[in-house]
Amino acid sequence: MIGESSKPKLREGVWLWLLKIIGGLLVFVVLGIHFVINHLVAPGGLLSYQDVINYYKVPIVPIMEIGFLIFVVSHCFLGLRSILLDLNPSDRFLNWIDGILLVGGIGACIYGAWLIILLTSRGA
Amino acid sequence: MSSTKWTITLNISRQKGQEPRKFQTFPLEVDPDEYVLDAVERVWAFHDRSLCFRHACHHSTCGACGMLVNGVEKLTCITLIRSVTKNGGILKVEPLRNFPVISDLVVDMGQFYLRMDQAHFAQVAELDESCLPFERQLFATPGGEYERLVDCIECGCCISACPGAHTSSAYLGPAVLAGIQHAYNQSHDSMLLDLADHHDGVWRCHSAFECTAVCPSNVDPAWRIMDLRKKAVVHRLRRAFGRKEAITHE
Amino acid sequence: MNNRSAPAHFWRWFDPRHHQPGTWAFILNRVTALGLTLYLALHLVALSQLAMGPQAYDNFIVLAKTPVIKVGEMLVIAAGLIHGLNGIRIALSSFGIGVRNQKQIFAGLMAVAAIGIFIFAFSIFGGA
Repeated sequence: MIGESSKPKLREGVWLWLLKIIGGLLVFVVLGIHFVINHLVAPGGLLSYQDVINYYKVPIVPIMEIGFLIFVVSHCFLGLRSILLDLNPSDRFLNWIDGILLVGGIGACIYGAWLIILLTSRGA
Repeated sequence: MSSTKWTITLNISRQKGQEPRKFQTFPLEVDPDEYVLDAVERVWAFHDRSLCFRHACHHSTCGACGMLVNGVEKLTCITLIRSVTKNGGILKVEPLRNFPVISDLVVDMGQFYLRMDQAHFAQVAELDESCLPFERQLFATPGGEYERLVDCIECGCCISACPGAHTSSAYLGPAVLAGIQHAYNQSHDSMLLDLADHHDGVWRCHSAFECTAVCPSNVDPAWRIMDLRKKAVVHRLRRAFGRKEAITHE
Repeated sequence: MNNRSAPAHFWRWFDPRHHQPGTWAFILNRVTALGLTLYLALHLVALSQLAMGPQAYDNFIVLAKTPVIKVGEMLVIAAGLIHGLNGIRIALSSFGIGVRNQKQIFAGLMAVAAIGIFIFAFSIFGGA
């Protein structure tokens, strides 16, 4: 096709793959921490609005939760991309997939970060 | 050879030209200690001379006779009939998956052989390098300068079994990657790593381990692919952090 | 699609007669990945209730304690354990660790996942 380069668009090379694997390992670790803190350590198990606001008053918490959100979303969307790559998309279709995943991923991160910042500000 | 005879039904995949594939059955009297390839050959000799199949050495060195036997990849010259069916049973024979079919049981291995060539796959290696590092020593005289034919016979069974190769013919496949790992061990040519370190190379493998399970020749392609991944990452890190190594190209 | 002409039927992937644990692990990983993605979306949306103030969130928590949601939570825990432990196995084998013992490692990790699932089932349903 006119305008297409002779090299196919990158599917999943070493860097994306490494990002996914290392992201996955990080998610596993941070999820463990997130789960233990949220449901076992935090008073009341974060089951009421006030408990959640108090939880977000601790300074390290919003930082950790935003970081966790970014790891999870990036691992998830890289994984979705891998699954879709097995359907053998053409380069053009892959461009669309990448666009949608990028927008969706960044959107999810921004929404989540906004929510976290909102909760933190309510406690201040 | 025992003198018992079994009666089995051979269910062979037939496909000529652009016609859709169909199955044809042949009742056959066989000695259960013969091999599947013998049964196929008997069908060709006495029942249907238009049956196409590939065979050469009949002793697992040439890799020509790989086929799907009851849905599983096998080297038919060493697959006993007794191990895949029973008296009165059915023997289903199909061509290898993930290769284009030329005729009946014969598939087009052209692209595969081309890739093995690009991988600088060498048929002969020094004794120490020809074995997997975790294999027990096969030979009684270590230290001597001996060479032997390497394990991979390029039969294509691993590629047929691989789910990755199933979805993409651009994927190099286990045999080729194992060949690259083997060649890289001997020559340390970083061009080989570049060939494997590619989205259709080592990074396409999803760790199904089907290849190692069907290999009739102890190549263990899955282990070799993981080893190649390690080497590729280490090589990239070295390059990124500036350790300048002489890059040899042959 | 590509050059396959030997029957390339999708359901062959699920034929249990000769599939290695590796292939099942791969299929399981993908299925749990899709389930967890769905959960991620639901979780992010549900947490928007927090933004709407105390009443909205506390109402949501009441909903979260109903049996249907609890079963859903069990599925999420199960999917998370399976996907996570399997992922660790994949990460290890990709760096050459434990490649030759894949079957045993997979069985062991799935046993750990099963134990984890039972523990959570007791704490969610068995306890108060």
